[in-house]
Amino acid sequence: MRCRDGVFLSFLIGSFFAANGQTNDTDQTLPTVTVRGTTPERFSVGQKIQRIDSVTLEQFRFQTLTDVLTYTTPIAFKVYGAGQLATSSFRGTSANHTAVLWNGININQPTVGLTDFSTLPVAGFDQLAVQYGSSASCVGSDAVGGSILLMSNPKWQQPGFSASAGQQTGSFRNNGTQAGVRFVTALGKRWQLAGKTFLNLTNYKNDFPYRERGHYFVEHSTTRQKGLIQDLSFRNAKNQQLSFNIWLTDNDLIVSPYDTTVRERTRSQSYRFLSSYETDKLTVRLGYIRDIIDYARGNFDTPSHSETDRLVSRIEKEFTKPFSWENATLRVGGEWSHYWTQVDGYGSSLIQEDRADVFALLRIQLAKWLFSANLRQAFVSRFDPPITPSVGAEYSVLQSATTHLTAKASLGRSYRVPTLNERHWKELGNPNLRPENGFNLEAGLSARWLPANRISLSSEATVFRNRIDDWSYWNPEYGYRVENLQLVVARGLEWNGSVAYTGPLWQSGLSLNYALTHSSQKRVYSTYAQDIIGKQLVYVPKHVGRLSAYVAHGKTRLTIQNQVNSRQYITFDNIQFLRGFVLTNVLLETQVKLGPVATRIQGQVNNLFDTVYLNVKRNAMPGRHFTVQLICNLHTKQ
Amino acid sequence: MIKKVTTASAVRLKLALSLLVALNWSCTKDNDDPMPLPNGAGVLVINQGNFMDNNGTITYLPPDGSTPTYDIFNQINKRSLTGSLQDYTESDGKGLILVDNTTAGQDKVEIIDANTFQSLATLKSPEIENPRSAIRVSANKVYISCWDVSGNASTGTFFKDPGYIAVVDLTTNTVTRKIPAIKGVETLLLVGNEVFAGSAGDATQLTVIDAINDQLKTGIEIGPNPNPVAVDANGKLWVYSSGEMVRINAQTKAIENRLKIGTDPARSASRFRISADKQYFYFVNSYYDAADNYKEKGEVYRFAITDTSVPTTTPFIKRLFSGMAVEPNSGVIYGGITPSFKQAGYVYRYQATGTLIDSVKAEIAPTVFYFK
Repeated sequence: MRCRDGVFLSFLIGSFFAANGQTNDTDQTLPTVTVRGTTPERFSVGQKIQRIDSVTLEQFRFQTLTDVLTYTTPIAFKVYGAGQLATSSFRGTSANHTAVLWNGININQPTVGLTDFSTLPVAGFDQLAVQYGSSASCVGSDAVGGSILLMSNPKWQQPGFSASAGQQTGSFRNNGTQAGVRFVTALGKRWQLAGKTFLNLTNYKNDFPYRERGHYFVEHSTTRQKGLIQDLSFRNAKNQQLSFNIWLTDNDLIVSPYDTTVRERTRSQSYRFLSSYETDKLTVRLGYIRDIIDYARGNFDTPSHSETDRLVSRIEKEFTKPFSWENATLRVGGEWSHYWTQVDGYGSSLIQEDRADVFALLRIQLAKWLFSANLRQAFVSRFDPPITPSVGAEYSVLQSATTHLTAKASLGRSYRVPTLNERHWKELGNPNLRPENGFNLEAGLSARWLPANRISLSSEATVFRNRIDDWSYWNPEYGYRVENLQLVVARGLEWNGSVAYTGPLWQSGLSLNYALTHSSQKRVYSTYAQDIIGKQLVYVPKHVGRLSAYVAHGKTRLTIQNQVNSRQYITFDNIQFLRGFVLTNVLLETQVKLGPVATRIQGQVNNLFDTVYLNVKRNAMPGRHFTVQLICNLHTKQ
Repeated sequence: MIKKVTTASAVRLKLALSLLVALNWSCTKDNDDPMPLPNGAGVLVINQGNFMDNNGTITYLPPDGSTPTYDIFNQINKRSLTGSLQDYTESDGKGLILVDNTTAGQDKVEIIDANTFQSLATLKSPEIENPRSAIRVSANKVYISCWDVSGNASTGTFFKDPGYIAVVDLTTNTVTRKIPAIKGVETLLLVGNEVFAGSAGDATQLTVIDAINDQLKTGIEIGPNPNPVAVDANGKLWVYSSGEMVRINAQTKAIENRLKIGTDPARSASRFRISADKQYFYFVNSYYDAADNYKEKGEVYRFAITDTSVPTTTPFIKRLFSGMAVEPNSGVIYGGITPSFKQAGYVYRYQATGTLIDSVKAEIAPTVFYFK
């Protein structure tokens, strides 16, 4: 049996479970803490959005964004090794086509135009949502395949003071430590103050007891991660809020650490500062981000240095009932940022540029219909990005106390400003690149059904087609010089379904996720391009499946996480590939209360079946390993 | 109610678990078709692969011209070679594959049964570090040139000084000793009882080794990066060094002639191969075209061992080869074409006259050919 059939089989069996109603809505229920939906969520009508629930985030809190996203979404990751670089492929697009927003600000590294997901700890944010498909009109550059939305959220509903301290320890001498406090307090009669200070440290020695697995080398690397979060928010009775958010991350990766000649160190440091003033109608943000990457081989004293600073500002104003139109909401805004970048690979000069955006977003809510129509125009120094409109609609086909069925559709244009590396890298870069130009179409059905008192089901199916022209390409035929060469069409379908049973003593749930993606290059630009036309893009698996199931009794919960990935081609003509694989983790957690201190204990077996699977360097990833984590929480109402 | 749900959960869990076991098992299997084995005859195409992908492979072209067999090592041994391939040679029924991995300490030489391609042994680090070329010097004895661990190119300390030649004993499949050689030791050529070793590490001497007792002898001062090419019909040794073909008396080690190759300093000559009758040399002359976004371009040229000048005006074959070899019996020229390091290349075959015979798809970057 081939892996492909296996995926199909698990899909079938999954449907069987759902059809029999034995299981139920997964951990997808979110505590009601969201005060305001983010702009991309509210105005991307007709598009798929997935919110990762807080239970799942808690289970992954000692892991990275890569880990949580690979087990909960169909996003494929290109992983270079344990704790090493991990880049995304969202709906068959490249690593440059996923926007990562932190409190609404794009935090992709401007030099490489992407996020290394291995450097972002799950502990760094309070909420995580995934926006599928292009949303250039709401998000801007990079949101071609989809967007990852990270949010800091004060827990206004939980006044008091809480402190938490956590320790994780695992196989291979890997461990992590986290500690933090958060509070919500009244300031006089009209104001409330919320704050959070959080520190996370990980020290992954990856001391594998083997050098090979299944005849494939297991590369040794160490990762040390430090992170600091400082949030402070003031809110008054009129719902005016002033927030300050700081998120510092420092990721220090060393590959082959014990060989002083060939060891490689990549140190990525990001300093992110954001202040926001928000009311129901107005949002003003001012932020400053500094990204530093130091890379050294052998001698760590003289690394190749890259440093980019960004000053980001944004103002958004919302009008309800614009032009006396009862059912509409109009949001207009502008964004301006200034970049300073100094990269050894660009030569010695400081490069500066300005970027600005203006946008108008319209949302219309009728009895059964929801529409959005959005428009954004970006301006970039020495560039001419296209105007990016989008429209979307949702129609409520069925709506009753127990049943919701919604049909959705959207279409929109997207673009990507070429990365600083693509434009400025000595010799290989191309300052004359054009922005990529995408067009995304998608349609879907989403349903929720409560067949009985304690059982809930939900499901969503989406088909999409995303056509990206002028796809810029480090052309290997020209010594990897960048060109706007290719035309890529990504098509696919996504299905997810979940069932949950919530009883007085027992709860259980199953959630399944399947995506079929076909993404290929369509343009003949040279004699030998014939061999790659229509072939699946490299590192984009055709089939991915995710399964998570749990059974809980009181505070004790057993969870199984599973991911299925079909082969990933590594050559443009698909003659070579990394084999497909299935990974399974098992988690058991419980909570013990000693006086005022609630202690959560979680034991985890990763790669339960000791599967041998390869990363993009064709080295084997680690086998079965274990972690235990202990988190003590103290909460007082004072 | 509660009990019922628990049972359902348990059943579901068991089902899910057994399904997972089945999937984990099924994904390790690949279905294979029966395939021709390289026993006795045919051509092995050594596809270098894309360095960062560690995906070098060997293609087997059967002697009857039927369908090639791709990635033959993986098909037989159910694992890939995990590196870029530098060279291949055979000795006494065994084949040696030189594998260079992106990670230091992961370079290796796979020793296989030359008829079945079954892996017999693997020579690993620290015996093998950056293997470059291999030759059989006598029964069950093979020399492998190795750069040793590489350092930092940007600080000018890339090549360890000296590199070494690993002496492999094929009766035990082990490295029995390392002969210290010049920096960046590269191409090896056996002439009589002596091995000449070239350099890619900016050495100016050609290393000479006594192949009987594995001892270094006095080197020959030639010029930057000398590499031995072949011995011609008159028994003369030819060495390429920095734009010149240098003719040497293999016995006295005296330099007899320096023949300048081409006149355009923007072009570089490489892949010198001698014809079957040992009267001609073929070589690739290439350049990066600034007018076409620095794409590498070039052609194959030919000159006779008696020529007094080598103009590069009339190409012998109008194609750029990433690898070239001459079949020693028929004189057929094999040229490897690499469209890019991310898709399969092709092998073009030409008569000794330069007439195209046919072409066949190979794998990533066909570079070295071994005629069995």
